[in-house]
Amino acid sequence: MLSFIVSEAFVDLRRAGRVGVSAILLITLSLTALGGFWLLSLNLGRAVGQWRDRVRVVVFLREEPSTAALADLTRRVEALDGVQRVRYVGKADALKSLRQSLGAQGSVVDHLPRNPLPASLEVTPAEGFTTPEETRALAGRLASLPEAEEVQGGAEWVEGLARWQHLFQIVGLAVGAVLALAAILTVTTATTLVLHARRAETEIMRLVGASESVIRLPQLLQGMVQGLLGAVVALALLEAAFAVGAPRLEPLLQLTLGLARAVFLSLPQILFLIAGGAFLGALGGLLARGRATA
Amino acid sequence: MIRLHRVCKVFDGGPMKLPALSDITFEVDKGDFVVLSGASGAGKTTLLRLLYADERATDGEIEVAGFDVMALRRREVPLLRRSLGIVFQDAKRLSVRTVFENSAFVLRVLCTPRRDITPRAFQALKAVGLSSRAQAYPAQLSQGEGQRAALARAIVRSPALLLADEPTGNLDEEMASEILDLIKDIWSRGTTVLLATHQSRLAAQLKRRTVRLEDGILIKDEG
Repeated sequence: MLSFIVSEAFVDLRRAGRVGVSAILLITLSLTALGGFWLLSLNLGRAVGQWRDRVRVVVFLREEPSTAALADLTRRVEALDGVQRVRYVGKADALKSLRQSLGAQGSVVDHLPRNPLPASLEVTPAEGFTTPEETRALAGRLASLPEAEEVQGGAEWVEGLARWQHLFQIVGLAVGAVLALAAILTVTTATTLVLHARRAETEIMRLVGASESVIRLPQLLQGMVQGLLGAVVALALLEAAFAVGAPRLEPLLQLTLGLARAVFLSLPQILFLIAGGAFLGALGGLLARGRATA
Repeated sequence: MIRLHRVCKVFDGGPMKLPALSDITFEVDKGDFVVLSGASGAGKTTLLRLLYADERATDGEIEVAGFDVMALRRREVPLLRRSLGIVFQDAKRLSVRTVFENSAFVLRVLCTPRRDITPRAFQALKAVGLSSRAQAYPAQLSQGEGQRAALARAIVRSPALLLADEPTGNLDEEMASEILDLIKDIWSRGTTVLLATHQSRLAAQLKRRTVRLEDGILIKDEG
């Protein structure tokens, strides 16, 4: 029975002709759009995760504390709610960092009459305290320290990035959904045309007592194969675009998002796309209805 | 093999009810050859369609090949039809398949073991005298050959019951006679036959038990 169903499905694929090819193309478009937005969202998500780990709140101090005062201050800051780690940056260390960040122009700092940079505490928020609201609250607590001159830093811009990621996800889903609907309708049309073309066979099959599954499975399989082909082509297109585009974009990603390299979809995600294509095709095949026969 | 008891069929035509069959009662025993005769529109085709569950009777009892047709669920209808062979006036051939493939198709869709398909299909073609035309397409066949091919497809699974609805309706006298001889041959090998025809001369020629319908009513059962 399986060989009959499979052979009939491939006969039906040929019968579907250009409409069948259109169905495959629409599934390809739908999954390419979904996959493309998924890739963007995936890499943005990695950037978001990375930057969330790097959120810092800096407390600039009124004056450089003594060793004993520093120990006391550090202890008090570490005891505050939401603090994971505290790092003291003295005036000399701050000047050294400035020299390094200026690179070739670093010698400029040697001409300064005195070191203008304040000592500071670099506070790393604890896990769960890296949202904009929590970092603002932490900044408020740090600002109330008598030694604090000014408090800077937060997570607003990271959350802005997260919002972009979320937006890409929604847009990708919306675009993918619209294209998926078009793909399902096209597969349904292709299958309906095939059903019309094979109505004589379907009538004979019903008259001789073929089970409904033997009659319907070829059309389901036909749709599924169309979906699988569409998914494979979509993945090939995404892979090709990634192979060409990623090396060119990586310097920009490094500069803007701090991402060393972009990653492609993982194996489970690829399998999900393939399964999605098969599902779209199968659904289109199932929804097709031929003319009522004996 | 077939038992009908007070069978009625009324078609729902909107505001009008169209009685197609009224109070039909008769039986066909295993091994019988019965002719169902009547003018066009008498209800012969409707009656046959009730027997293979293509239509549902409005009332009455129908038993075919051991199946209570009135109690059959939709998914059980294929089981009934597997014990039947059905031949129509218009042959219903698969034009894109050869004569051999038309017979083999039935065996394939019913999951016959692959090794049995070819010999059984050829056996059926031999029984109807079409062995030499196995590779021909339906468009290449004469009317008579086409009906033979339809017969081959109907008997390829050696059904217990053959239902023939006007199998000679489109044929001239000579071809009609050939087809009837074939059907009689099929019957002689043990298949029960119920043959519907509007051609009274043909019915008389067969000299079999005849059940006659007129306006959906059984008016005669003799022979």
